[in-house]
Amino acid sequence: MTDKEIEENSEKFDVNQGQEELDVANKSLTEALGVSFSILKIIMVILVILFIGSGVFSVQSEEQALVLRLGKIRGVGESRLLGPGFHWAFPEPIDEIVRIPVKKVQSLGIDSFWYFMTEEEKLGKVSRYAPATMNPIKDGYCLTRNDSISGVEGTDYNIVHSKWQLTYRIDNPERFFRNIYYRAPNPGEDFFDVTADMVEPLLRSMSADAIVTTMVKYSIDEAIVSNPDIPDNVESLLQQKLDQIDSGITVVEMQIAGKITWPRQVDDAFQASNKASQEKQKLITEAKAYSEKMLNEAGGPDAEQILVALKAEDLSEEQRKSLLSRLSGSSQEQIARARAYRTKVVETAKASAEYLHEILPEYRERPRLVLQKIYQDAIEEVLNNAEEKIFIQPAISGKSKELRILINRDPLIGKPKKSE
Amino acid sequence: MKNVSVLTFVVLIVIVLGLFFVSFQVRETEKALVTTFGKPTSSIEEPGWYWKWPSPIQVVYKFDSRGHLYEGLMEETTTKGGEPIIVTSYIVWKIGDPLQFLESVHDSKGAEEHLRSLLRNTQNEIIGQHYFSEFVNSDPEKVQFEEIEIEMLASLEAQAMSDYGIEIKAVGIKQLGVSEKVTQDVFERMKADRKRKTETILAEGNAESTKIRTDAESKGTELLAVVEAEAKAIRGSGDAEAAKYYKLLEADPELAMFLRDIEALKKILEEKTTIVLGAETEPIKLLRGVPDIKPKK
Repeated sequence: MTDKEIEENSEKFDVNQGQEELDVANKSLTEALGVSFSILKIIMVILVILFIGSGVFSVQSEEQALVLRLGKIRGVGESRLLGPGFHWAFPEPIDEIVRIPVKKVQSLGIDSFWYFMTEEEKLGKVSRYAPATMNPIKDGYCLTRNDSISGVEGTDYNIVHSKWQLTYRIDNPERFFRNIYYRAPNPGEDFFDVTADMVEPLLRSMSADAIVTTMVKYSIDEAIVSNPDIPDNVESLLQQKLDQIDSGITVVEMQIAGKITWPRQVDDAFQASNKASQEKQKLITEAKAYSEKMLNEAGGPDAEQILVALKAEDLSEEQRKSLLSRLSGSSQEQIARARAYRTKVVETAKASAEYLHEILPEYRERPRLVLQKIYQDAIEEVLNNAEEKIFIQPAISGKSKELRILINRDPLIGKPKKSE
Repeated sequence: MKNVSVLTFVVLIVIVLGLFFVSFQVRETEKALVTTFGKPTSSIEEPGWYWKWPSPIQVVYKFDSRGHLYEGLMEETTTKGGEPIIVTSYIVWKIGDPLQFLESVHDSKGAEEHLRSLLRNTQNEIIGQHYFSEFVNSDPEKVQFEEIEIEMLASLEAQAMSDYGIEIKAVGIKQLGVSEKVTQDVFERMKADRKRKTETILAEGNAESTKIRTDAESKGTELLAVVEAEAKAIRGSGDAEAAKYYKLLEADPELAMFLRDIEALKKILEEKTTIVLGAETEPIKLLRGVPDIKPKK
């Protein structure tokens, strides 16, 4: 081999070596890349699965949900609202889930028509002091009208305080969602925290509107007895207003919390009027009791009815008798006495007549004897019963004797009364 | 192979990122306004997904299209008759025309400021057209409260829409009151009314109780009269029947009389009697001695 040839050979060898080195390098690089790409592919697949999986969500039992796909509500008609359970949607930003609480009845107290109370008063301390005027900024109140007197125009109004309790429910979540503004809950808040800020002021304002409108139509007397028409009217008026703005909120009930009351400033006058009402009732009750007692004594419990029946035009004897027999009390006594009299009179007459006829035959035969017997018996009896018997010998001569009798003796001395 | 997947992957990412720049969503509860080069070009009210040129060529403003509540302040105003009243009103409003809204008002805050003065003016105007008797009246038929609220709505609606692109959904008065000084007079009047009522109630009570009593008494009297008549009739019938028996006594009137007198005597002298008799009276004369009698043949 020549030197040149040797040089050429070594050059070739070097190049080959270099090439070989490159090949090896290439190979490991491609291997490495291949491995990382596989890993990448696996990661991508996992990510896609996760992506799809994160679309699962659940709706709680007191909620309903809407899905906004690219801004629009997904679905048509009934299926737009998703009920409780598990559902799937594309994750954001394609789909957005909006949860709205339904069925849950919430309540709200409306105090804007009550007078201002200090902290102590709120805790129960009763203060006798009431300011002479009502400050519209601090004290809340409603105006009610006066009684209507036909023919008299009047714009006199009265001031009353009231507290109310509203219970409501979101019945149509889609409408509510579309038409009532509320901010999205911050992390850590749920929907109800948001309603306090957003929905309650609206309900308060509209309720107050309904209350003011209604109260003005009623008189103060109707208000302070909490006439049930009043909260009913407020309820229907409020529902009307809520429907007008398509709120999807339903009024479950509007109640007067406690009662509607007059201002403290006129308490005395109203209390007096209450007492007068009670007094009036008492007088009437007493009068009725008296009336009942009277009629009861006179004729028994049905006296009044019987009297009315007795005054009827064509009453047969039997009907009369039966009606009269139902009377008791002093009426009954009177009739009984009359009957007793009648019986006695008749019996006496009968007895006399019978006795006469009994002794008549014997009398006709031996008149003197019969008379004598009867006479003697009578005298015997009389003398027996007499307390004191004084027999006076007639004067042998024609001289009259004087007799002095002591009267005024002790009236307690005497025979005990014979029992009948 | 690898190049293709790399390419697809990268392209996908670019597309997704790019979408953010050239499209936007309008949510169900939103309205959007698209401005091109700062000038408003279109307003979008339907929800959905839309294209746009990337900013700063086109900028999209989004507004919440739902109902907002604006609560007015307590204001004093006068009625047609010059009577002062205090009202607090509220408004429920929505964005009607996003373009107009953006130009005149900008955002909710600005809206409230404009609504405040608009509400005040409307209140004064409408309330000034009605008498106090249309707010409060003894005759509930004459109360025009709801009509007044409707009038306020009508007046506000037109102006709010044309000037500010705001749609007014509802207007209401949530508090109606009177000035503080007047309340004192009101209390005096309420007291006087009550006093009058109290007197009336008591008078009624007395009248009714008296009526019930006299009613009862007259009924009682009536009843007793009826009963007395009946008793009389009974006694009468007794007497009549007795008379029939007495007729029988005509068989021997003298004997009958004698028997009657004997009975009377016995009765009269039943008790507590002192009798003074001559000793000749039978059987007392027996006290003198044995009688002179002989047996019968």
